[in-house]
Amino acid sequence: MSLLTAWRTVRGTRRVSETLRQNPDAVAGPSEIVGSLQLRHVDAGSCNGCELEITSAFGPVYDTERFGARLVASPRHADGLIVTGPVTHNMVGPLRKTLEATPRPCVVIALGDCARDCGVFRGGYGVIGAVEDVIDVDVTIPGCPPDPTIIIQALRGLTRR
Amino acid sequence: MTSGILLACGSLVSLTGALGGAALPRPWRVPVSATLIATACVVESVAAIDVLATGQTANWHSSQVLPLTGASLALTPLGAIFVVLVALVAVPAAIYWIGYAPHGMSARPTAGSFAVFITGLLIVPAAASVATFMFLWEMMALTSLALVLTDQGRREAARSAGVWYGVITHVGAAFILAAFLILAAHSGGQSFTALESHARALAPGVRATIFLLALVGFGSKAGVVPFHVWLPKAHPEAPSPVSALMSGAMVALGVYGIVLFGDVLLGGGPVWWWLIVLTLGAVSALFGSLHAANSTDLKKLLAYSTTDNIGLVLLALGASGLFSATGHARLGALSLVAALVLLVNHAMFKGALFLAAGSVQVATGTRDLDELGGLLRRMPQTGALFLVAAASICAMPPLNGFVGEWLLFQSLLHGVNLGNTAGDIAIPVAVAALALTAGLTIVAFVKATGVGFLGRPRSPGAEVALEVPLSMRMSTGLLVTMCVVAGVAPMVILPAVERAVRAALPGVGSAPLVHGVRLQLVSVRGVLAPTVLAVSLVVAVAVVVFARRALARRRVVRVTEVWGCGRELVTARMQYTATSFAEPVQRVFDDVLRPVRDIDVSHVAESRYVIESMSYRSHVNDQIENALYLPVIRAIRRWGQFARRLQPGSVHRYLAYGLVALVVTLVVVAVLG
Repeated sequence: MSLLTAWRTVRGTRRVSETLRQNPDAVAGPSEIVGSLQLRHVDAGSCNGCELEITSAFGPVYDTERFGARLVASPRHADGLIVTGPVTHNMVGPLRKTLEATPRPCVVIALGDCARDCGVFRGGYGVIGAVEDVIDVDVTIPGCPPDPTIIIQALRGLTRR
Repeated sequence: MTSGILLACGSLVSLTGALGGAALPRPWRVPVSATLIATACVVESVAAIDVLATGQTANWHSSQVLPLTGASLALTPLGAIFVVLVALVAVPAAIYWIGYAPHGMSARPTAGSFAVFITGLLIVPAAASVATFMFLWEMMALTSLALVLTDQGRREAARSAGVWYGVITHVGAAFILAAFLILAAHSGGQSFTALESHARALAPGVRATIFLLALVGFGSKAGVVPFHVWLPKAHPEAPSPVSALMSGAMVALGVYGIVLFGDVLLGGGPVWWWLIVLTLGAVSALFGSLHAANSTDLKKLLAYSTTDNIGLVLLALGASGLFSATGHARLGALSLVAALVLLVNHAMFKGALFLAAGSVQVATGTRDLDELGGLLRRMPQTGALFLVAAASICAMPPLNGFVGEWLLFQSLLHGVNLGNTAGDIAIPVAVAALALTAGLTIVAFVKATGVGFLGRPRSPGAEVALEVPLSMRMSTGLLVTMCVVAGVAPMVILPAVERAVRAALPGVGSAPLVHGVRLQLVSVRGVLAPTVLAVSLVVAVAVVVFARRALARRRVVRVTEVWGCGRELVTARMQYTATSFAEPVQRVFDDVLRPVRDIDVSHVAESRYVIESMSYRSHVNDQIENALYLPVIRAIRRWGQFARRLQPGSVHRYLAYGLVALVVTLVVVAVLG
């Protein structure tokens, strides 16, 4: 019975993913990365608000993967990093190591206001600075936290799809 | 005739080595003994090769050596192939011994036992009468027992291993003796020719009894499930040259015994005999490879892998008998060729692996894989040799393991429409078992090589490991070279094996198996050109390597440290261990292996959410040992407890026993008289 219910739900559910504009605005990034973008996420000290939005952006509704961007489990598999949060003392080393472990060319995306300019955590005792102060950043996505549509927009700009 | 003299000379030289070498003072003892052993091996193998080349049996008889019966030796082509096999392992083992001796193998009893052990191994396949065979067999069994007990003063485990080995090997010898006695009683003589000529006329029931007794007896020596329990205990505890010989050569003689009884003395048998052999082989192969994949002790892993390989040989042997019994004589011969090739190959790579494992143990002081690691950097030559031998046991072309498994697969895959329902079902199942075994063997040896030799050292012993003396590397290298040669050019050994098979199975046609550089199977479609395969592999690898270099030159290569999830400190404890590598296999075969897992978590007193310490232990017990042997041991112990009550150490009680016995005897005499 439950199987039948499940089937009805599947059949009854229409398209859930958001339809988006066809042509993204190009975002400046390394010119070699086109079409597909594998990303490793680094939480450099975030409050996890941005993580929720990333999860949402890669979930079934926004479904960023249809535009070629994917989250991967290791920097060895990645073309780039998504860094969230202000860079804390504990995460400076790991962040640098992760960047070092990522093959070149590599795009670094600072996601959220904290990653961009420390946001509400500016001046905190555990905070070293924004991502830009530690490693070179190619793309910034503003917002506290950024809306999934904004995240998608930026990623589509990189993949150009 | 000449080879008969050579045979006698060889035996004489090795006995001289045994007694003379062991008597010398310490600095001379091992080198002289080892040289004499190697010489004896060479002389014996010249005799054996002569027999294999001419097909003439070499005979030698002396009535002076053994009282009452005399010793008679006859080297048939079948025996000759085993003599060569023993010599192939014994020569490197003797050379290895020179370097290994300071690590507890230079005492007089050990040196003497080692030489006598090799003598026994060399001459057993030439024995031509029951008395000679049993004498040599026991000589081999007792000296190997003494060698397993070499370290018994220092390690409790060695003593226990000695007891297990001693009991199983002697119960096995009793079975063999029973088989011989029944056969001899019906034949009126004790020479093998007399046995052979009378055995065919015996009643089927008697023949079956003889065969089953021999199968149990020799199976226990060969390490076949369920008699394998001594292997994973005795092989790790014996000194490494001894384990190499026990695993490579002695276990092979168990198979020799089964061939001797099944094919030569009894001249083949009904289908059900061989179905038993086939089943034992398949079960041993699966059980051995499964336990090898789950062992963390390097030498225990190799011991279980011996059970696995002997299982494959028995599988081939069973298939051979099955094919012959259903009237497919040529296919039967092909399977027997596969069995013998597998056995010769096993001697080479398992000998090399045990010697390399011994080098690792000498260099690091441990054989626990969870404490090794990074040895390829510390001991590059031993590491490389282990790697090649491991690739060979995994049947990777162009090494010798591949040729053996290819022959076995071919003979099994062509065994269709036998006209016997049980056989027609058994062969495809055997193919499936063989495929699963091959996969599990790869798991075991990827683990042994990857965890043991790659990565970072996991213990101080592995950190400071130094390359072992030249004689130890050289002897391992000798065996590995044989693996490569026998893999690239199997036409070196195949004609000899064929000759042996023709001697064991008369009535097989004379079409040869080898044509130039190709192996063209007789009577079935199947062609392999190992040399061409090897050359093309080398060329392909070279092309890929050069192409990669040429392309990579344009790019900038950036070298970074190993990815450790961004941690500041990458330690050896972050690596895969042997246990964690085998965990998925363990989980899949949970019902067979029944691993024991203990997790102890102790919390901080203030809060259950904070953990103070945590320990995890996992252990895989041998289920056959638990189910079959422990109840027997418990029962014997109970009987022992009972007998203890009769013998409490009180002199008065013993005097009373004497009195009671006397009175009872007198009463019995009075009543009956």
